Amino acid sequence: MKHLVLTTALAGLALPATAQTIGISIPAATHGWAGALNFHAEETVDRLSEQFEDLDFVLTTTPDPGTQISDLEDMMATRDIDALVVLPFESEPLTGPVARIAEGGTWVTVVDRGLSQEGIEDLYVAGDNESFGRTAGEYFVENLDDGAQIVVIRGLPSTIDNERIEAFEAAIEGSGIEVMAMEHGNFNRDDSFTVMQDYLSRYPEIDAVWATDDDQAVGALAAIEQADRNEEMFVVGGAGMKQMIQRVMEGDEMVPVDVTYPPSMISTAIEMTALGVMNPGLPVSGRFIIASELVTPENAESFYFEDSPY
Amino acid sequence: MTAALALHGVSKAFGPIEVLHGVDFALHPGEVHALIGENGAGKSTMMKILGGYIPATGGEVRLDGKAVRFASSDAAETAGVVMIHQEFNLAEYLSVEQNVFLGRELRRGWLLDHRAMQARTSELMDTLEAGVAPTARVSRISVPQKQMVEIAKALSRDVRVLIMDEPTAVLTGAEAEVLFKQIRRLRDEGAAILFTSHKLDEVKGIADRVTVLRDGAVVSHGEAGEFTEDTMATAMVGREMSDLFPSKRAGGDEIVLEARGITVPGRVEDASLTLRRGEILGIGGLVGAGRTELVEGIVGLRPRTGEVRLNGEALPADAAEARRRGLVYLTEDRKGAGLLMEKSLRENLTLSVLHRFARPLIDRKAEEAALTEAIRDYDIRAPRRDMKVGNLSGGNQQKLLLAKTMLADPDVVVIDEPTRGIDIGTKSQIYDLIHRLAGEGRSVIVISSEMPELIGLASRVYVMHAGRIAGELAGQDVTEDRIIRLATGLGGDREKAA
Amino acid sequence: MSTTTTTPARSRAWMPDLHVLGPILALVALVLIGIALNPNFLSVANLTNVLARSAFIGIIAVGMTFVIAAGGLDLSVGSMAAFIAGLTILAMNTILPSMGAGIAVIGVGVLIALAAGLIAGAINGLLVTRAGIEAFIVTLGTMGIYRSLVTWLADGGTLSLDFALREIYRPVYYGGVAGVSWPIIVFALVAIAGEVVMRHTAFGRHCAAIGSNETVARYSTVAVNRVKTLTYVLLGLLVGVAVVMYVPRLGSASAATGLLWELEAIAAVIIGGTVLKGGFGRVWGTVVGVLILSLIGNILNLTDMVSPYLNGAIQGVIIILAVVLQRKGTAG
Repeated sequence: MKHLVLTTALAGLALPATAQTIGISIPAATHGWAGALNFHAEETVDRLSEQFEDLDFVLTTTPDPGTQISDLEDMMATRDIDALVVLPFESEPLTGPVARIAEGGTWVTVVDRGLSQEGIEDLYVAGDNESFGRTAGEYFVENLDDGAQIVVIRGLPSTIDNERIEAFEAAIEGSGIEVMAMEHGNFNRDDSFTVMQDYLSRYPEIDAVWATDDDQAVGALAAIEQADRNEEMFVVGGAGMKQMIQRVMEGDEMVPVDVTYPPSMISTAIEMTALGVMNPGLPVSGRFIIASELVTPENAESFYFEDSPY
Repeated sequence: MTAALALHGVSKAFGPIEVLHGVDFALHPGEVHALIGENGAGKSTMMKILGGYIPATGGEVRLDGKAVRFASSDAAETAGVVMIHQEFNLAEYLSVEQNVFLGRELRRGWLLDHRAMQARTSELMDTLEAGVAPTARVSRISVPQKQMVEIAKALSRDVRVLIMDEPTAVLTGAEAEVLFKQIRRLRDEGAAILFTSHKLDEVKGIADRVTVLRDGAVVSHGEAGEFTEDTMATAMVGREMSDLFPSKRAGGDEIVLEARGITVPGRVEDASLTLRRGEILGIGGLVGAGRTELVEGIVGLRPRTGEVRLNGEALPADAAEARRRGLVYLTEDRKGAGLLMEKSLRENLTLSVLHRFARPLIDRKAEEAALTEAIRDYDIRAPRRDMKVGNLSGGNQQKLLLAKTMLADPDVVVIDEPTRGIDIGTKSQIYDLIHRLAGEGRSVIVISSEMPELIGLASRVYVMHAGRIAGELAGQDVTEDRIIRLATGLGGDREKAA
Repeated sequence: MSTTTTTPARSRAWMPDLHVLGPILALVALVLIGIALNPNFLSVANLTNVLARSAFIGIIAVGMTFVIAAGGLDLSVGSMAAFIAGLTILAMNTILPSMGAGIAVIGVGVLIALAAGLIAGAINGLLVTRAGIEAFIVTLGTMGIYRSLVTWLADGGTLSLDFALREIYRPVYYGGVAGVSWPIIVFALVAIAGEVVMRHTAFGRHCAAIGSNETVARYSTVAVNRVKTLTYVLLGLLVGVAVVMYVPRLGSASAATGLLWELEAIAAVIIGGTVLKGGFGRVWGTVVGVLILSLIGNILNLTDMVSPYLNGAIQGVIIILAVVLQRKGTAG
């Protein structure tokens, strides 16, 4: 929805005289969400390149912070980029290199993971991990009774994960909901399957599972089905994977809701950057935070994208 | 005079097995002392105790009359006691110079003093007439040269007592002479030198004193002049030695193996030979003349060109095919290519003919029966049947290797250095075995660096020089003089070319 | 020569050999700890879970035992498993419209998985033996290749088996015979067959001989290159078998499938007493090693004793301890 509006806005603007190059650096597709991020990035690049002949893109994906720094250096040295869209692999190590690029006058858009120093970037586009955790927490409070027992499957140990967990814990505080255990599922279906199997062995009574991620929810659901305890609990994932949105849409009792953390934020970031680069006067800089929304059977349809791989 | 290093009532046990029983021994400054005995008599163990490599179980070691307990070989070396092992202790991928100074590198401040170390190494290698550059990588130099590096390593230290375990086993006569010159020099400087050797003529030539060890006990010792080679051999073996070699046997007329124009790139050029049924054929020459490479080419262990016919039919360069058709090769390199040191006797014995025991599961009982038979037929002496081969003495390893090779029931056997590093008693057994093979109608090729062995065994000898066959000798012509002339490239004109 | 015989003393009375017992003791200790910490540990459901989830790594580790015993190494198995899983899912989805949802499609999928494993193993083996490149480098290369290929096949996302097929295929992981689930049965069969082949056939003996000293093996006319290649082919085939059991579990494959399986398999092999530099392989030890690794994870999940951040550290300590125990045992 959002990028449709932007594209129309772009199409209506006059073309600048010289070609502009936008560099994009994002993590490699090592898990579902990052895969979707890659998909959206490529799709946006293809679409914009076709629409605007004078817009060039350099897209790199990196497996670790070290490689990402090298990629950024290469972009500056060999492609002479005018703008950079970067999803920092880790905040600390990337802050210095990105700051140097910004100092050189290049437009910098930071996506999702903030740098550890404020005021470097021209534009900040991000999901809201705090809202992600809180939205899920609020749903649990509304739908579970005092004394309900739940288990949590955390993601990869990281700042993002910590922020989500803290917000969730704050949201359920005082509700009488007891979190019996938290283990890491590493955004991996197999790991989450194993963790959930062991939760099921350990606790005879579980009222709900916060899986924190849709891939992890898939693993957890498989384990619950295996143990034949479908009736006992519901599972809340997160991110907005097609498969999970569909189950919400169909009114699946095990998957009553989902919480968004849209990988399409990269499209928003690229589009807004293109807009800013091509029209120096346009006020596109600043912070653009995409809050997490609760996907319910009623609104699920608007979160379902048929051709997305995620 | 106080002994530089002495043993008093020393015993040593490995687990429940005692291998040294109350040995008394004294090594004096300024003497060359030979320690002789059969394989497994306890020579290496005794040397390792002297060198501080292993502790004694009972008795004491005395240095300059005072009891010592070397905590390690390092402690012994600090006290001036240096040992050169039978197996090389060299870092293959380091240079000669780096090896000589390994662990005692010369420094200038924080940095290594390469120039000084190279100069010193160069000097040492020159006195040893080894002809090796200090910068040469050890993996690329020859076996005798490696031995010289070991010796240079020892000489570069402040040596008071030098212990050498079979230093000449891999050296030619000329190379051994150079070593002896250095040994005499050290002796004259007051060092005490102990060495072992199976070459009794050598012992006779250089030793001042001789100690004979048998079954872990000293059976005889005294001035070298009191011994003859015969009395030494008798003391070692514990019985009168009859003639070492059985009477010679010539082959029949039937040619079983014929090689024409064999070339192994870089090693052997255009060599041809024939072998008759029931014959014991010798191949002589200096180390490095291409003898091993020639036969490895013939049996298909190395790429070669030229034609090989076995029992009249062409044989491709494929060792498995050669074995199937009855041609086998027994390597000179027991440890590197012959036996798996970490494995048991049984697993080694059957390795090359495992398919005969697998149907498809390996018949363990049949394997055990084969081992029992091999132990009996080849007189293999193993304290335990299930022990690792690496813990057998050299002679018993060689007998096991022979048993392993013969398990394929071959028609033609090539035996490379059949008695290297083996005591005289075992030697005579192996010679008997070789004769038994020929007597059974098999044909044998023996490669040897030991003249008496070639002369004693073979009715016909090819001598190689620098990758070519320099000549063929038969019958009365098989003499030490003629072999040496051909081997050194002198006498080619007098012999008919092969 | 009979005069020189020293009567060897009777060999030492039977003593518990730590080299052999080490892994078993560690396993028993873990089981006891598990029982002490959580009463549900011994429940049929939990034991079934642990054994079934061990099956993938276990089946692969049995093959890895042969590769390592013969002096090789294979780092590519985790990526290979992910790639084969992706390929199999894609193939089954593709032929579904023409063949209709049924056992036949699953059959084709199974054949594709096994064939792909066989070919992938042969590629590793031939590169090691024919091209003469170190196994570490070859399989490091193929590891990257397969991981990229599965990411590419999945377009960065997840490949999911068609829902209709999933229902048919599901029992292969979740079903079983007489209460024992299929993955456990297959794992047990592979382990028993592996043990027999390793200990009682010429192939197993040749593997150990080659790992022990390749030159000796060559001079003993062992077909060194053929045997080495076969170890990789066998491993590849077993990766295929593992994939056949894996796909029905979640019905999906992605770039995250099989992550670090190669290291877990290698660790299991070494814990089990096989020597990393080759020359000796013990299949039953590998099975024990796999169970040890699974149990550590299981026990940590069943308790709150340690911070989940430290799971990796606990695993590391136990791996090292298990191996130290063994090495101590041989030194004596």
